[in-house]
Amino acid sequence: MGKKKSVVLLVIYTLLIAVLCFICTVSFSYGTDNLYTFSSVMRMMEKDADLGLAYGANADAGAYLGGGYSAVYYPEGVISAREYADNLDGMTDEEQADYAANYVRYPDENGSVYLEKGVACNEDGTVMSSFEEAFSSALETVTQRFARLRVDGARVEAVDGCMIRVFLPAMMDGEYIAINLFSYTGELDIRSGSDEASATTIFTDMKTDETVADFVQAVNARSSGDTGYVEFVFTDRGRDALATATSGAAETAVTLYFYVGDSLVLNLSVSEAYEQNTLYISGSYTPETANTVAALFSTSIAGTQDDLTFTPSDAYFHTALYGESTVVMLYIAFGVFFVAMMAFFFIRYHRLGFVHLYTYLLFLFAMILCGWSIPFLYLSVETFLAFMLASVLLCVSDAVTFECARKEYALGKTMTSSVKTGYKKCFWKLFDLHIVVAVIAFLVYAISLTALQTAAFVLGLATLFSGVGTLLVNRFGWAVMMGTSKRPGAFCNFRAEEDENE
Amino acid sequence: MNKRLNLLPVWAAISAVIIIAGIVLMALLGFNESPERPASKTFDVYYNVVVDLNDESKAALEEYCESAFAEQGLTYSGKATLAGQSDPVSSSQGSFTATGNDFLLRYTFAADVSDEALASAKAAVEADIEGNEAFLSTTGAETYVSYDTLAQQPLTESVWRGAVAVAVAAVVALIYIAIRFGLGCALTGLIACVNDAFLTLSVFAIARIPVYAFAPMLYAAIAAAVSVVYWLIRCMKLRDDAKDPAAGTLSAQESVANACGATDKIVWLAAGILLVTIAVCAACTAATGAAAVFAGALIAAAAGLYSGMLLAPSVHVKIKAYFDGRRRVRQARYTGKKKSAKADAES
Repeated sequence: MGKKKSVVLLVIYTLLIAVLCFICTVSFSYGTDNLYTFSSVMRMMEKDADLGLAYGANADAGAYLGGGYSAVYYPEGVISAREYADNLDGMTDEEQADYAANYVRYPDENGSVYLEKGVACNEDGTVMSSFEEAFSSALETVTQRFARLRVDGARVEAVDGCMIRVFLPAMMDGEYIAINLFSYTGELDIRSGSDEASATTIFTDMKTDETVADFVQAVNARSSGDTGYVEFVFTDRGRDALATATSGAAETAVTLYFYVGDSLVLNLSVSEAYEQNTLYISGSYTPETANTVAALFSTSIAGTQDDLTFTPSDAYFHTALYGESTVVMLYIAFGVFFVAMMAFFFIRYHRLGFVHLYTYLLFLFAMILCGWSIPFLYLSVETFLAFMLASVLLCVSDAVTFECARKEYALGKTMTSSVKTGYKKCFWKLFDLHIVVAVIAFLVYAISLTALQTAAFVLGLATLFSGVGTLLVNRFGWAVMMGTSKRPGAFCNFRAEEDENE
Repeated sequence: MNKRLNLLPVWAAISAVIIIAGIVLMALLGFNESPERPASKTFDVYYNVVVDLNDESKAALEEYCESAFAEQGLTYSGKATLAGQSDPVSSSQGSFTATGNDFLLRYTFAADVSDEALASAKAAVEADIEGNEAFLSTTGAETYVSYDTLAQQPLTESVWRGAVAVAVAAVVALIYIAIRFGLGCALTGLIACVNDAFLTLSVFAIARIPVYAFAPMLYAAIAAAVSVVYWLIRCMKLRDDAKDPAAGTLSAQESVANACGATDKIVWLAAGILLVTIAVCAACTAATGAAAVFAGALIAAAAGLYSGMLLAPSVHVKIKAYFDGRRRVRQARYTGKKKSAKADAES
């Protein structure tokens, strides 16, 4: 490569790196009273709720993101001791005595809840066995729903054996929707009619020994881009029931009401007879809300009319699990790694270290851009760890290519020949190494869930970038930068045998 | 000659003892998931004011609680201030909004803390609040003290799917190795991979190292990936050496010893960089909860190094000897002419 061409390419390459560096890492405010903010890609990237850091558009306003929300589901017949005390407040002594006679404090005189006699506990204050069974079943249903959300960090806890405390990390668009909807219990029912009050169930021919499962096979969430939809898969009998219910829809619009227990979840206007096994409902669902609604309906197929009904309490915000400064600490860890890495490359390879620096920065910015633009990726401790593993792979790979070329140069070959032969010798080794790691990572991504899934995808993606970086970008950078030097041996800190003898 | 190659029974025994003990403990006790607080008790102080929260009152409540706990000899494992949230203003919004005037002061205790002690602490805190008229009159606050016993419900799907994912990924990666480097190398790699994943899990199970629920499978995946990478480095050298015509005269042990001798440096270098990088991450996040996640990854990386340096090479001596023996038998049975001889005859 000619010197002029090298200089031009190097300037373009450097400008590209500088622009990417600016876009990815620099944030600032501007305008009158700093009204506007330019947010870097790194700042806009989603971050794990466990990390805790003010970020995004509200960061400067002091908004705290990360952490999560919890709420308690109180079953019918169970009220908190605080609510019990509040209820007593406005009553006369006689009313208080009547009211108190209906409740027993649980589990003891210091308990945090009161159980209603005849609903949750017997006259002697012991918990009714039917309540225990119903609570156990409801707890399992709620646990299934939160598990189906597949949100990293979601928790379900049984509290004192008679309440359910749920927690969702602040990584969703609608934590409220999920917490609220998942408190609905009972059997899935689809009703049809011209209005909600007069609507009747479409499963009119359900026999006493049958359940909704004989009509509705499954409820799934589907998505297309940013739009989510709920997919109802009916059995043949369910399809017939739906066809009957919508048979007159062409003349008079029919509305289908989808219930879980006594709670209306959604309604759907139908303007023509529907005679298919699969029904798709979109509305204004995002993939996340569609998943929430599908999880609710799906777990309600096995529900019964006797299920416990729940009332969710007020929610509380929890701060981030790992503490507020974790993101900053991760940046510091990366900084230490980066400085140590560059010190090694500059000391051992002198100006050839710039080749690795440019390759590594391109790799870094490519990962940051992917982390921001791919919807399910976010910065977490696990994804950071995966990124660092791939960083080590890139560093070792670059060092191996440099060492291969060094060995060839030591044999007295020209620098161009040394680089060519060095790359030829290590190309398939590095290719195999990257392919194997990428295969492992992407397969783990395809099968696993939540934290491991995201970390595996980051490792796979970073390994691909590492492979491209070390086998293509690094070589390109080497050719460009070496073209600007009159003494390529000194540029790379390589010595031919003659030099060593001297 | 590398002495470590002759010590297969030793490495196998070490691995077997740790893995068997680990599997037994995993089956009986599972992992120490104490950071997830699978069972715990919480002590809540609810505080609500009409207008705005008062930091002095908050601090007073904390002081009351902590002095009550100290009096009862109670030690809490977690303390959090939870801000009250209200439902979204409109149905189109999906997230909560902060009320700004109520919060829960929540202390978390181990599940074995006695209810009597918590009840006494509750009474003490209530008495302190009641006795501090200034506290109540100046803020007009509503307070309520309660405690509960919690049992976390396991969300197991991610755990078993993680295990299946690691197993499938390792097998597929080793099929690639079998195609590129031969069946013997793939078998050794599989043994090393399985060993490292189980060894890592076993160390966590035996040493009762506290881990988050997601972490064991993450570490198993790291151990498997690292193990495959180290073994791949050996495989590349073995394949290069096999191209040398003189390689046919070497025994399996000599071949493996030569390959190990030539690649030890790069394996040590890669392992060193990896371990130092993870250690730096752990050190930098030492003040946060993330340090434990990085520290656990050190064990996975170390397990990969163990089999990369000791177990896999010594296993491969046996496997290579077996495959070499089969090849020699096949060659001895071959009665046809060699390609070169055929070419000579045709010309």
